[in-house]
Amino acid sequence: MTEITYQDRPIELAPGETVLEALLRAGLEAPYSCRAGNCQTCLQRAVKGTPPEESQKGLTEAQKALGFFLPCICRPTSPLAIIPPDDAGAALEATVREITPLSHDVVRLRVETENFAYRPGQFLELIAAGDLKRHYSLASHPEEDTFLEMHIRLHPNGRMSRHVTETLDTGHKLHIAGPRGTCFYEGVDADQPLILIGAGTGLAPLWGVLRDALRQGHRGPIRLYHGARDRKGLYLVDELESLAKARGNVDYVPATLDSGGDVAALALEAEASRAAHSAFFLCGGENLVKRLKRDLFMSGASLKAIRSDAFTPAA
Amino acid sequence: MSSLYERIGGENAVNAAVELFYRYVLADGRIARFFDGVDMDQQIAKQKSFLTMAFGGPNKYTGLDMRNAHKSLVEKGLNDSHVDAVLENLSRTLRQLGVGEPEVKEVLGIANSVRDDVLNR
Repeated sequence: MTEITYQDRPIELAPGETVLEALLRAGLEAPYSCRAGNCQTCLQRAVKGTPPEESQKGLTEAQKALGFFLPCICRPTSPLAIIPPDDAGAALEATVREITPLSHDVVRLRVETENFAYRPGQFLELIAAGDLKRHYSLASHPEEDTFLEMHIRLHPNGRMSRHVTETLDTGHKLHIAGPRGTCFYEGVDADQPLILIGAGTGLAPLWGVLRDALRQGHRGPIRLYHGARDRKGLYLVDELESLAKARGNVDYVPATLDSGGDVAALALEAEASRAAHSAFFLCGGENLVKRLKRDLFMSGASLKAIRSDAFTPAA
Repeated sequence: MSSLYERIGGENAVNAAVELFYRYVLADGRIARFFDGVDMDQQIAKQKSFLTMAFGGPNKYTGLDMRNAHKSLVEKGLNDSHVDAVLENLSRTLRQLGVGEPEVKEVLGIANSVRDDVLNR
């Protein structure tokens, strides 16, 4: 008999039973709909043990790499520890190492912690104090950097903005939880065009993904489009320009609204005709990401080839 | 005689059809508005579930999910003409993929059989 745990609660699987059936039998309110492995409503994540391959059919390579599976068609033969897909896990303590401005309204926050495994481009929950929590994408690379790097957009009178600029200092402790998200370099063909499109601090995950792609030997063309309201809203410009100069396959395309450059329009015009063969990463505000995702899909890009992370403003 | 699902090409056929079908639907001015604001990744998984059922593949269709999923759309005016439009797009998808006429008819028959569930009648 196979035993699984769901958020640390042990559940025994009856012979031939699916994980979904076992969860429901145990009285848990697990979501489901088609019960045939198609609709993905019942998605869960295994953090220990390996779900059978057939229970991951139709999922993206990033989801598979993180242990996501479909309980309704999962009949495991070895133990699994399961958590809900949006469970960030327990919070860890982290120490502030650096707070530096990247532009007039973006600061770089670097923190250090132990035993925090992540993929560049994923996001974490930053718990700065009490109920002051926000999600930030990771711009750092676990094999290149000893710190976790986040890019924080400063909003006038924003609580986190004020906390970071006025209160927080090097050596201070805070907490982080995660990582989460599937916006990372996985399942991309090393020879296909890799198109990274972001606006504002959407550059943070793209910077992480870009360095990860190069580290993993991406050979196809890479084009990074970064949009901002105006010239002073662009950041990491020197780093991106020198990277583009040093690497024959990397192009950096900045776009600023005040000079008529709408990053979404610019990227769509350039990429639509070859969208069907490219891998995309879209990071930024919800409207930008939704528009690009739809238009690229309609231009022939497969939805599986479009990874995205839409930032939603804090309530 | 093999099953409809086997004759069409099973899971591979569903995978080949689902994005094409979704593109036709989103490009169709008669029904596109019903998909405004919908999460595209979740939607494509649901389309896949629907196509698997319509292709005669493994499913546990009860009608209840179809009813719940479309309830709010019926309140926004979803009616027979919109179901007709979806079936038209499905038929176009199948022909585009070279599915034979008898199979197209069968698939459309199954898809049409859920019309009352979709429209919550």
